Amino acid sequence: MEKFKNIIREYPFLGFIIAYLILLSVPSIFFTDLYQSHLASLIFINIIVAAGLNIVKGYCGQVTVGHVGLYAVGSYTAGCMFMYLGSDLWVTLPAAIIVTGLFGIAFGIPSFRLEGPYLALATLGGGEAIRIFIENGAFFNSTYGISSISQPVIFGVPFDTPDKYYYISMPVMLIAVYFSYSILKSSVGRAFMSVREDPISAAASGIDIKKYKILAFILSAMFAGAAGAVYAHLPPGYIHPNNYTVIEMVTFLAMVVFGGLGHIWGGIIGAIIITIVYDITRPLYEYQLFIFGLTIVLTILFMPKGIGGFIDKIFIDKRFKKKKVEEGK
Amino acid sequence: MLLKTKNLMKAFGGLKAIDKVDFELPAGEIRGIIGPNGSGKSTFFNLVSGVYDPDPGSYIEFDGHDITNEPPHKIGALGLSRTFQLLRLYQDMSVINNVMSGYHTRVKYKFLDAVIGRKKIWDQEKEIKDEMMELLSFVGLADYAELNASELSGGQRRLLVLARAIAMKPKLLMLDEPAAGLSPVNVDNLMKIIMQLKDKYGLTLIIIEHILKVVMDTCNTVTVLDHGQKIAEGTPNQVKDDNAVIEAYLGKKMNDEEMRKALAV
Repeated sequence: MEKFKNIIREYPFLGFIIAYLILLSVPSIFFTDLYQSHLASLIFINIIVAAGLNIVKGYCGQVTVGHVGLYAVGSYTAGCMFMYLGSDLWVTLPAAIIVTGLFGIAFGIPSFRLEGPYLALATLGGGEAIRIFIENGAFFNSTYGISSISQPVIFGVPFDTPDKYYYISMPVMLIAVYFSYSILKSSVGRAFMSVREDPISAAASGIDIKKYKILAFILSAMFAGAAGAVYAHLPPGYIHPNNYTVIEMVTFLAMVVFGGLGHIWGGIIGAIIITIVYDITRPLYEYQLFIFGLTIVLTILFMPKGIGGFIDKIFIDKRFKKKKVEEGK
Repeated sequence: MLLKTKNLMKAFGGLKAIDKVDFELPAGEIRGIIGPNGSGKSTFFNLVSGVYDPDPGSYIEFDGHDITNEPPHKIGALGLSRTFQLLRLYQDMSVINNVMSGYHTRVKYKFLDAVIGRKKIWDQEKEIKDEMMELLSFVGLADYAELNASELSGGQRRLLVLARAIAMKPKLLMLDEPAAGLSPVNVDNLMKIIMQLKDKYGLTLIIIEHILKVVMDTCNTVTVLDHGQKIAEGTPNQVKDDNAVIEAYLGKKMNDEEMRKALAV
């Protein structure tokens, strides 16, 4: 077991290949209807967004409440490319990532001067502006939304039902998580954290604060863009401005906060749990926002580092105590 | 000269925090900077390390580069490292990550390599971690590597800040009150570690310190600041007997006439 652990640690992508094989077999074993596949795809999409949000908020410490706007940019890049050019997911996905990355720069520039709640307000305004711009733009089909966006076809097989689309969204999610993992585990992740903890001291260590802030915004925007494109093509391929409101933003934030801000798996754990809870509580629609708001507040009060940080802490304390006991002998 | 300032000036509103200071520091020296509170010692550090921009007309040179208006991260990359009076630890990061983030300027791989996660990244990361663990065990914090920095005691935090500043292998290390708030035993221990690190890495040191024993025992030369001006410079013994220095610390001796005037007002 120890040997296996070491191999994974040295070749992280092996771990992701194993995860891929496991996830490949999940539907045939556990899923009984199409809705479960649909829900799984939604979870994967939310994982991508949460992983990106964790970079900018959890690691780099920049409070952004406009992320849902970037997610909308990704979706509508894909949607419009389909509507006007008839493009497929394989074209719209990279295009959405690039376009959203560019929007990420615009969201990042205010972070040079603004901090905390002020930055939150600026990004909130940005996100809402994007949604309202889409809602009122004839180019984007305004409030009609864009419908019947195509699903990809591989070797003549259309992936047009939820159970098939699972095999599209899942690898995209794994690749995104792999990228976020390797970025955050490298010196870049550490630079993000030191910018979060103390910018002045980070600069004294030779870390270019502005560069890393804007990098965090671009990266997380690219994740949001990828998620948006995958969401746009999700069967039945319908996007509407109402899917990108502040309510969605609160859900995304709840995922990252609940899973663990600044914890490498935090966003992922949170995305899985919150998406499922969100689905179960659908009948209680009026109370959903209340539930997620309460989740955020309670988590921050009692488990500031979320589930991920909480579990980590238990293990670290245990190891530390064990070491002390051994020394005592 | 490793560090040279010429006509260094900084005013906050009407207050001249640093007033025309010329400062020269050859490589390999241990320089002490002393002065009463508010004499501009920390401001001097902040100007040299780029936290503040100096006023026009100033000139700072480090290791042959003009760093007068460079941003702090570029100055750091040239090999000038510093600690802060208020420590500025990364509270919510593990001890090992604190030290490893100090290594930042020496990381060799490129950003894109990190995104793809190539094997050479993980090899290098392991090397960095091993080297930093060695540094941590040198200052005596290896057991605490995985704990959060906020869980350390005051003395341990001072050691951690020191280790983080050393991690970049600087040419010049500027310590802002490294021993503030330590007990005499801990001060001796800290100074011993600093001296060992100096020999190990071939550092040049500037130390701001209020504990005069530290300054007198370790520094080759001492610069005394008062009201932003350099009022004396020389070996610790020269400075100790300098009239201007005694005046700055203890005040001026008045004759009877002056005393009467002062009391009348």
